[in-house]
Amino acid sequence: MAYEFTKEDLEQIEEIKSRYPEVMPATLPVLWVAQNRFGHVNPEVQNLVAETLGLPHSHVHGVAEFYTQYYKEEKGKYVLDVCTCLSCQLCGGYDILHYLEEKLGIKKGETTQDGMFTLNEAECLGACGYAPMLQVTNDQYVNHLTKEKIDMLVESLKKGEKPEYEKIGMPQRENI
Amino acid sequence: MPEVIIDGKSYKYEGQHKLLQFIQDLGKEVPFFCYHPSMSIPANCRQCMVKVGQYIVDRESGKHELDDKGNKVIRWFPKLQTACNIDIADGMVVHTQETDELVRRAQKDNLELILINHPLDCPICDQAGECPLQIQTYKYGPEGSRFEVKKVHKPKRIQLGPRVVLDAERCINCTRCTRFTQEISKTHQLTITRRGDKNYPTTAPGTEFNDPYSLNTVDICPVGALTSADFRFKARVWEMNQTPGIDITNGKGCNIDLWTRDNIVLRITPRFNMDVNDHWMPDAGREAYKIFNENRISRPLQKLDGEQILSSWNNAVATFIEQIDNTENKNILVIGSPHASVEENYSLAKFSNLMGLNQPVFVPHLKEGAGDGFLITDDQAPNTVGCRLLGFTELDQKALKKEVVKASLVILLSDHLLDRNVLTHKDLDGKFLITLATNHSETTKRADLVIPVTTAAEHAASYVNVDGRIQRTFRAKETKYTNRRLDMEMSEGRLDRYGTNFDNWVTEDNKIDCLPVWRFISEAAGSKGLDLVLSDGREIMDEISSTHNPFKGVSYQLMDEQAGILLINDSKEKTNA
Repeated sequence: MAYEFTKEDLEQIEEIKSRYPEVMPATLPVLWVAQNRFGHVNPEVQNLVAETLGLPHSHVHGVAEFYTQYYKEEKGKYVLDVCTCLSCQLCGGYDILHYLEEKLGIKKGETTQDGMFTLNEAECLGACGYAPMLQVTNDQYVNHLTKEKIDMLVESLKKGEKPEYEKIGMPQRENI
Repeated sequence: MPEVIIDGKSYKYEGQHKLLQFIQDLGKEVPFFCYHPSMSIPANCRQCMVKVGQYIVDRESGKHELDDKGNKVIRWFPKLQTACNIDIADGMVVHTQETDELVRRAQKDNLELILINHPLDCPICDQAGECPLQIQTYKYGPEGSRFEVKKVHKPKRIQLGPRVVLDAERCINCTRCTRFTQEISKTHQLTITRRGDKNYPTTAPGTEFNDPYSLNTVDICPVGALTSADFRFKARVWEMNQTPGIDITNGKGCNIDLWTRDNIVLRITPRFNMDVNDHWMPDAGREAYKIFNENRISRPLQKLDGEQILSSWNNAVATFIEQIDNTENKNILVIGSPHASVEENYSLAKFSNLMGLNQPVFVPHLKEGAGDGFLITDDQAPNTVGCRLLGFTELDQKALKKEVVKASLVILLSDHLLDRNVLTHKDLDGKFLITLATNHSETTKRADLVIPVTTAAEHAASYVNVDGRIQRTFRAKETKYTNRRLDMEMSEGRLDRYGTNFDNWVTEDNKIDCLPVWRFISEAAGSKGLDLVLSDGREIMDEISSTHNPFKGVSYQLMDEQAGILLINDSKEKTNA
């Protein structure tokens, strides 16, 4: 399949380019435009980005490979990054991961047959206060995970409903 | 004059210098991996750490602040600095690993970090022996590693391009290779992929590393990560001799080193010359080692009943003279060659002159559009300008054909005119062709008499490049008639020094039975009773410089001292006066 930017994308890319004195800094935001359009930035998409910006293929490849948030291969519609770093691990991050593995019938790093979910094990996502947690496709955090919450999340994602952004305040000290 | 104090010694300087380069220029040492004088400075290997500071001076009195023991107090930078990217400044105090325990420790620990994932495969690594990582670990590194877990594994034996092989595990991510493709060759073919301990250089997916200068990355790689697909596993570095030479595959005349073992040239690497090729050379020039080894003509060849047979030198000289004697002078055509050195062409011209033959003609070997404005030129021959300066008549293909039609005896100096389609077999029908040549070709196959002559690796001779710069080669390879131990100018490797003809690492067959052009010419002239003795390139060049104005003042000694001399230059009179 040949990848091509739509007219709107190209307009957006022009706008991004106009923000910087040189083309090179536009690499990152334009890779995002590409990932939002195609769902991933595999080598073909990387070449498309390089040609659109007039940059060396190797440069775009190097940038895309550096950041884990750019998907270098096709992923499921929803990518679930389950944190198993220290705080989450202590609060049951691995239980959540294994529960998801069982529920979706895949191992971490794999994608379900229907192309709906990709399950990843992630390092600290900076939400230690709400452990255990996961992130949905580089976007919303789902915090304080329990098995019930997972069930609900998977159900609603299947229906195409993404979770709401959650605002959790800092724990307040009482009796100061 | 501003001064900088390095390890307690004061050095005056002028202009702007980076600290690491300045220390190197002093002949001292700070270890480093990523820095390269011809490229940008990323300071990413962190190996060249030094301590930098300034004496504390009281502003009012202008006096140095002293400590209890009366030593000047130094205000140090809060952290160690990388010497490669720090500019030296007046009054700067520098402590390197030679005087400072902290710097020593920092460099040692940095090496320990670099070595964490570096495989310990020096015994099978091509870089061993000329590996900065190996040398500096030996000099500055820790005794052992505290790292006890499994090393990170990365791709090995990746054919990045037709000529370069990558071993990602050995890579220390100095980015010299990627910077080379970005800044020097400008093909932007390499990038660092992944991150952290998993990163390594590679090409963009679907592309190959076919940069015409790709093998330079192998030279500048400070470890064995990038190796030459061709030279891989052929020889250990310490078994070879290194002899300076000149690239003869195009008109630029890149300065090179010929690496030989047992009189076989195994590889060619660039040699630094600021005015010609900096640190670089095109990949095509490195292939030239094959010219020196393979397909060589050894012993004269003579045609008998339409078949070439090996002949003796006596026979060859006799036939050579006999043919000239039996042909009217006006029917003889002497052709010089832009592929041969100044000295070879001169010898031929002198002989031709003494015999009353024509001043040699030559046909330049140009390939339009082959040049790239950097180190690859349209000119495919190393000495076109040299032929012009010797006063040879420059002919194009048409004009040469006309001359050949008129002649019945053609004497051709190492130029494969049939192979490069300047002449056809038809043009030479019924004519006696004598060629002095180094390698077998269509042209030598046609020749009635083939005189094997020395290549640029076997004689010391000079070549004038497209910019009019005269540079010379050294003898790197023995012939049947030269001896490394008697020739003070030839370098000796360990195997040469400690080998005898009875050792299994000495192969007599690798010495070619050939003579320098001037020796053969002298033999021929001698048998004619002519007073023409040309013994070696050095003397011939002295003779040329006294008889040919463009070469005035040129000598081997001057060429060696100045790394080549510009012959076509308005200011020449001034510099060489």
